[in-house]
Amino acid sequence: MRTNKLTPYLFLLPGCVILGAFIFYPMLQAIWLSFTNYNMVSEPDFIKFDNYENLFQDELFWKTLKNTFIYLIGVVPALVIVPIFLAVLVNQKLKGIGFFRSAYYIPVVTSLVVAGIAWDWVYKENGLLNYVLDLLGIIAEPIPWLTSTDTAIFAVMVVTVWKGLGYYMIIYLAGLQSIPTSLYEAAQIDGANWWQQHTRITIPMLMPFVLIVTIMSSIAAMKVFEEIYIMTGGGPLHSSETLVFYIYKEAFDRLNMGYASAAGVVLFILTLIFSLINLKVMGKDKTA
Amino acid sequence: MKKKNLLLAMILVIAMVFVSACGNDDAKKDSKDNKDSEGKTEQTTIEFWTMQLKPTFTEYIEGVIADFEKENPDIKIDWLDVPAADLDKKILTAVSSNTAPDVVNLNPTFASKLAELDALVNMEEAVSDEDKKKYVKGAWEANRLKDVTFAIPWYLSTEVTLNNTKIYEEAGLDPEKPAKTYEEAKEYSKVIKEKTGKYGYFPSLDLSLVLQHMVVMGAELTNEDGTKAAFNTPEGLKAFEYFTELYQEDLIPKEALSGDQRNTIDMYQAGQVAFFAGSHFISQIKENAPEIYENTKPSEAITGDTGKKTMSVQNIVVPKQTENEEAAVKFALFLTNAENQLAFTKLTPILPSAVEALEDPYFTEAGEDAEPTDLVRITAAGQLDEAELLVPPMENYDELKEAMFDAISEAMLGEATPQEALDKAEKAWNDILAK
Repeated sequence: MRTNKLTPYLFLLPGCVILGAFIFYPMLQAIWLSFTNYNMVSEPDFIKFDNYENLFQDELFWKTLKNTFIYLIGVVPALVIVPIFLAVLVNQKLKGIGFFRSAYYIPVVTSLVVAGIAWDWVYKENGLLNYVLDLLGIIAEPIPWLTSTDTAIFAVMVVTVWKGLGYYMIIYLAGLQSIPTSLYEAAQIDGANWWQQHTRITIPMLMPFVLIVTIMSSIAAMKVFEEIYIMTGGGPLHSSETLVFYIYKEAFDRLNMGYASAAGVVLFILTLIFSLINLKVMGKDKTA
Repeated sequence: MKKKNLLLAMILVIAMVFVSACGNDDAKKDSKDNKDSEGKTEQTTIEFWTMQLKPTFTEYIEGVIADFEKENPDIKIDWLDVPAADLDKKILTAVSSNTAPDVVNLNPTFASKLAELDALVNMEEAVSDEDKKKYVKGAWEANRLKDVTFAIPWYLSTEVTLNNTKIYEEAGLDPEKPAKTYEEAKEYSKVIKEKTGKYGYFPSLDLSLVLQHMVVMGAELTNEDGTKAAFNTPEGLKAFEYFTELYQEDLIPKEALSGDQRNTIDMYQAGQVAFFAGSHFISQIKENAPEIYENTKPSEAITGDTGKKTMSVQNIVVPKQTENEEAAVKFALFLTNAENQLAFTKLTPILPSAVEALEDPYFTEAGEDAEPTDLVRITAAGQLDEAELLVPPMENYDELKEAMFDAISEAMLGEATPQEALDKAEKAWNDILAK
């Protein structure tokens, strides 16, 4: 009978082994590499904190860090708030609502490479967006969305938001459907209008989901890579280059694995701090 | 009882995970041991990687392999085709985990990165002088980094300008006199923009092309021993000013700054650009935009005061980790011999690096019913004598390239004057070269 106590751990073991081998071991390895000079071919060479010192002196690192924060500030509120409205919209009992739900979800399952190239066309100097704006008489000259230092990063953000909306909408939808209808019925009897019902019932009941979405979208925003890789390559003049893109370039274009690992460790710490802040702030709100 | 069985099963599964995880190494060792013991007495297996040749050239490569295996019954070739975008990473991973293939098709930029790390066989020693002479001199020399020749040249290309004759006519220009120099390119662009609203020239600034343009305009990139930047001269400034002017006067598309060749080909195919250096794309244009293809007339590369023209090279390298260097080099030479190269170049618009193959009429005479593709090939081959690798392999090449691209972008965007940008690039280069 004693074996019984062991059984749950044995069930946990395969998961732990896989996580350990493919997540934690590489993570520890990256931390170790961040203290070395490693080019993938010769043996890593221990150089203490040199990578970090160089990193903090690198203007480009600070620029990409700033861009990452701009990205975070631009993308997260949009991804936290807009999907709530979408979820409320598609939570109605209408004929063919399934169609609308899947329509909003399609960007999520679209390959980011395909979407990136399509958006690239939209943004071109002679692309769809400039054409429409010109037709409406809003602009006189085409705007070089992806090749101007003022607009490139924002143009890419739009794609990230567009792509994420459906995913977070589904999370909220699950949340909405877990709210008992009796609450709304009671509120209606008390004479609450549509707005009051949503601000007093929907939003508070959705708070745990808002927390999840905030954390998930923050992490996603800090790790953004594909959109940038495909649409701007970080340009022009690094104005749309984020930290992950910088890490990628250092690691795979320049083979500075140790240096890139150091930047990776910094990114990890920042992400961790952000998630903790989120948990603290939002967690309190929920209990209050 | 049931629980005990379950426990046993769990232990078994976990044991399997561990065994298979560790097992990989053993299996690899085994196969290597086999290779060794077999290599001496029986058969050697050569692992051969190419860059994105499947499925278009499957038949050709398989044919070459079959011929080689027939001639050398003791050598077996194991062919693997890798998508171009993955090859860099795949070869790096292979080299770092000591499982490198024996023969690989790489471009010089990436090959030189591996050569910097001393991971490639020096062909200067591995190939006989007699064999060396069979290759076009410029192509052989294109693969030198310091005193090492890190690759055997496979196929080559030179830059050919593609001209959309229809736009030339719309603008009242003579398509028989396509732009030959940077100055003409600018004048033509002005006329075309004025008359048709379309763009004339679309210079690509992708990859090493900024550096190439500078060399063609007469700038030297570094001093003799490659320790200091040497481009902060009137010639270098001219190059910066040239592109800044084109960009700011809206004579070239704004996408030029994206440094992405995809934009160039897209716009040419859409009939929005009159000319660009795009000979690699001729088959693609034929397929995607047959009307534009019909109106396409190839001409010699646009050049500057130096009259220099660029040549690019695709390579075959042998990583040092190979255990069968002799067989690997033998196969590399076979793959790149005149006969095999000629057959290859007949399938696609590329030029052979073997001197003998270049003498074939296929590269010298245009028939009556010559298509744009044929003209591209003949134009390309015709300028091979004057063409050279303009940007030699350099250490920390990627950083150098980016520093220059950043500087010229700054000038083009008007965030710095061309001279300020050039000064900045010079400083950045000196820092990188001093590493």
